[in-house]
Amino acid sequence: MAPIELFIELTLMPLIAFIVGMMMVLMMRRIAARIQRRIGPPFFQPLYDIVKLHGKRTQVSHGLIHDIGIVMAMGGYIAAETLLPVPGMNGIAEKGGLITLLYLMMIPSLGLALGVGQCANPNGSIGIARALTAMLAYDIPLVIVIFGVAYAAGTTNLVEIIATQQAGGFATWGVVEMPLLAIAGLIAMHASLGKQPFEIYIAPAEIATGPMVEMSGKYLGGLFVMQCFQLYTTSVLYVSLFLGGGTTWFDFLIKSFLVLAIPVSIAYLFPRYRTEDLLRLMWKWPVILGLIGLAFVM
Amino acid sequence: MVMSRLQKIPVVEEKKGNPLARVFDDLVRFCRSRSLFILHYCTGCGAIELPPAMTSRFDMERLGIQPMVSPRQADILLITGYVSIKTLKRVILTYEQMGSPKYVVGICSCTVNGGMYWQSYATAKKLDEYMPVDLYIAGCMPRPEAVISGLQKLMDRIKNGEADSWQDYYRNYDYYLGNQQKLFGEDWQTPTDIITEAKHYELMGEGTLGQHTRLLEQHQQPLEALEMRLGHKLKEPVE
Amino acid sequence: MIFSLLDELLIFSAATVLVALILGRGLAVGWMVTILYGGQLLVLIKMAALGYGGDPIASELSLSVMGQDLSWRFDALSWFFALITLVAALLTSWFSCGEWERKFKQQRGNVWLFHLAMALNVFTMLILLASGDLLSLFIGWELVSWAGFLLMAVAGGVATKAAIRYITYAVVGGMSIFGGIALVYAAAGSLQYEAILIAVEKMSTGQLWMLVLLFGSGFGIKMGLLPFHLWQAAAYAETPGPGSAFLGAISSRMGLFAILLVLVKLFGIVNIDSLKIPFTLIDARDLLAWIAVFTIIFPTYTALKQNDARYLLAWHGIGQGGYMLLGLVTANSLGAAGGLLHVLNYAACQAALLMAVFAVMHRTGTADLNKLGGLVARMPLSFLVLLTGIIGLAGLPPMNGFVSKWLVYRSLLEDGMPLLFLGTIIGTLGTILSVYKLIHNMFLGQLRVEHEQVREAPWSMMTPMLILAGTIFVTGLLPGIPLTWVSAALQTIGLTGPEITLGGIESSSGSLDMIWVIGVLFAGFGIGAVIFYSAGPSKRVHQLDNYAGGHFLTADVRYQYSDNFYSGLMHLIRGWYRGSFQWLENSITSLVEFLSLGMQGIYRRANSEFYLLSTALFIIAWVVF
Repeated sequence: MAPIELFIELTLMPLIAFIVGMMMVLMMRRIAARIQRRIGPPFFQPLYDIVKLHGKRTQVSHGLIHDIGIVMAMGGYIAAETLLPVPGMNGIAEKGGLITLLYLMMIPSLGLALGVGQCANPNGSIGIARALTAMLAYDIPLVIVIFGVAYAAGTTNLVEIIATQQAGGFATWGVVEMPLLAIAGLIAMHASLGKQPFEIYIAPAEIATGPMVEMSGKYLGGLFVMQCFQLYTTSVLYVSLFLGGGTTWFDFLIKSFLVLAIPVSIAYLFPRYRTEDLLRLMWKWPVILGLIGLAFVM
Repeated sequence: MVMSRLQKIPVVEEKKGNPLARVFDDLVRFCRSRSLFILHYCTGCGAIELPPAMTSRFDMERLGIQPMVSPRQADILLITGYVSIKTLKRVILTYEQMGSPKYVVGICSCTVNGGMYWQSYATAKKLDEYMPVDLYIAGCMPRPEAVISGLQKLMDRIKNGEADSWQDYYRNYDYYLGNQQKLFGEDWQTPTDIITEAKHYELMGEGTLGQHTRLLEQHQQPLEALEMRLGHKLKEPVE
Repeated sequence: MIFSLLDELLIFSAATVLVALILGRGLAVGWMVTILYGGQLLVLIKMAALGYGGDPIASELSLSVMGQDLSWRFDALSWFFALITLVAALLTSWFSCGEWERKFKQQRGNVWLFHLAMALNVFTMLILLASGDLLSLFIGWELVSWAGFLLMAVAGGVATKAAIRYITYAVVGGMSIFGGIALVYAAAGSLQYEAILIAVEKMSTGQLWMLVLLFGSGFGIKMGLLPFHLWQAAAYAETPGPGSAFLGAISSRMGLFAILLVLVKLFGIVNIDSLKIPFTLIDARDLLAWIAVFTIIFPTYTALKQNDARYLLAWHGIGQGGYMLLGLVTANSLGAAGGLLHVLNYAACQAALLMAVFAVMHRTGTADLNKLGGLVARMPLSFLVLLTGIIGLAGLPPMNGFVSKWLVYRSLLEDGMPLLFLGTIIGTLGTILSVYKLIHNMFLGQLRVEHEQVREAPWSMMTPMLILAGTIFVTGLLPGIPLTWVSAALQTIGLTGPEITLGGIESSSGSLDMIWVIGVLFAGFGIGAVIFYSAGPSKRVHQLDNYAGGHFLTADVRYQYSDNFYSGLMHLIRGWYRGSFQWLENSITSLVEFLSLGMQGIYRRANSEFYLLSTALFIIAWVVF
């Protein structure tokens, strides 16, 4: 591939991810509003929020690590997007693969954790401790799912996983071939989004939004950007693993939005679990489903 | 009194010649007006009117207004109801922790003039003696419609660049500090260092420093940020 | 007589021991010893051809004891381990020079004994690595065990207790290895590797099982494999700072070296694979793999509970050993390379982490995670080193631990071992949790009043730490360099390495190119930084200017969350820590005590000739059958 072409791809992939991510945030808020019989925010609301937050005049920093943490939180996702193939663009997906992508997605969390740590606010620290605990909860079923898919496909190369599904048509989609893994994956994905009922580390009424408690202005803005990327990455990864990726941008986006709509619609019907209940839940049902699904694949 | 002092605020001349910058400023102002995170400090009965304003009946999220939890994240400090002297300390602390541009909205007549607590010894009567208030919504209590229409008025003022009374707190800090000292005693100090903040963001005005800030400096606990350092800085010997 | 390079190395190393012994009470002995380690490293670098598939270098020295030829030689595997040993020794010794030494003296530590023990450890490790037959391996093994004991016991007090516990285990391990060697000798009639290789083919399943168990447990004790891991954490953590970093980095890996040599090279993975456990579906290899996975999980989650930074890291050291063994047991090209590469990567991370912890301890006097906090403002470089180390230890990009763990994961994926894979991930997650607790409780959060005036660690300590941090990053960016050595080492034990590129590996089922991954990651950080820093100024504030629900914070009330850090998780899993291994150890100890009491009784009554005769009979019977 010509270097210039690759460069354009590497620039476009995070940019598109950000824009689609903002639309996903909008969808999430609209769905929440509709479930609560409200109208919801206007179309450009996510953009307004981000621009406003970055346009604050005075902002509070608790030190260099606080700043760097936010940079890492945004930068890690920007990098991760280039490993996630989209229709017509593969970026450097072939140089990393699925496991690398999963680990690269932990970098933003690590950055956030460091940044929050330096804020010297116990609410934030409790939030991070809970977020890491939640990660321990949902990553176990997620890993079973990832293992199953990669083993069935015989590769960790996402481009190939998608190509195999597209070549065989609907009957070879992950969701048809491995329905149990797909369900377990959906639950794990829901938990990884940190939405209700798995919202233990935000918990506004309890620990004052946990990690975000000391974030003002561009710090909070960075986290809003990160949320856009997070929604996009999670849903696109699910689409790539189970729904055959996308042949065109149209069906790709429809699939991504639909996948995201499922956990989001469930989320706003529930209050919050306690930490140990979340662990118990995630280590029981999705793991059982995943292991049975895995047995079918092996 | 307040109006006369407000007029003294120097009007910053908009930079001419770069239309792009002006468009950008307009965009930021517009976004500010369309995205308002509220921190509601519900000290009295007025809080009861906020849930309907936020939830399905009136849905403030249509206007981009949503509640936030910590002062760092918020743009609007919404004070509903009477402010006792004990609470006022917390309100001022919270206000100072918010990131500018920030707006204070006083709801109910209690914040305007003490309302039915006019004769109480323990209640701060006029909120705008202690912090610059952008908007009062009078009433006992104002209905959600009134709250929303008030907030819409605030949005218009933000969009036009008129809602900048937050700068007044920096530029006339001495006045506000004086009133606070009168109420809480001479050793009153908040954890936020407004004077260095004003210097840092170039928001110093004629009224930033004065006799009250001098009084503050006499007993102030040091509030410098912990800077990263490799070497050793010896503490000055304490006599 | 012409010395080979190996002789030079061993003589150099012996000279270091002598210098430490004779001049150890003089001034600047630390620097002298450090320079001598540097000299040893230079000799080793002269042998660098080994790392690229050169011919083994033999020592001129050979002995004949009771008809057994003893020989010493260096091949790629020895070279690889020796490289890690010497670099670790050089840097940890450097760390100990100057201020650390002075403080150690002030606290009535014996600097002379410390340097002597370090030099002895390095010397004996080199002898072990150079062993050319089973007998010299055994001699080297015992030397290493006792040298290790000496270093662990230097500090006295709790450390001596831990060291005695260690030496009890080590003696048992030595016995078991000796038994194994006796069995091998009975079967092969020689202790030379070539003869054993031939004899292994003819061995019955029972014999092979016996050997795998004897050698496996003997070497496993040094490595801290389950269920022999209990001695390690306390013994390593209580050793004086640089010694702890040295032991933590490489000492246990001697067990892995021996396992590779005996179980993989001599017995062969294929033979081990054919050993079935009756009535179950698993064979000896699966058994080893599962032991490895449990060695990852249990110690890692024990580490999560620790409130002392040194103990936390020492427990992780045990856990990380599991990854190495697991990778090597899978024995495909990716896994074996990953396992062996992890020895290097882990050594760099663990040494850096322990040094950072000891640097903090040097300045603040404590490693208690509930008594620190906010030190990033006072010790930023130590923070940087610790951060690099924990990213490496947890196996996240862009540090080196990611590459080796990635290789292990991939090998498990290719072999279709989901449960082992899951086990490794559970271990990794546990590692992430506990290392965040480590960095948060030490460096982030609120700075305590008593630490206001703390300084950064002195440069004599900082320089080796920074070198290690650099190593962690560079071997993560260019894993091709160490992987070349790893594949040369793998060839000497009969395994093949993967296809290597400078930035990682090339494979038909998914490659890895760290140069690209890290390049993109840093480009991402760059864009993030542009967005972040273009968005207006911010102001650093005092740590008491903090959200507390409207409360006024003061310096005398701590506003920090550190104790019982993962309370929600612990609420669920606290009951799962049953201390079964502790119970096992205690019951064996009381059993031995009981037996020894009984024996004493017999010994007192019966005459000593009878006792001797029965012992001799027993030994003869054991050797013959």
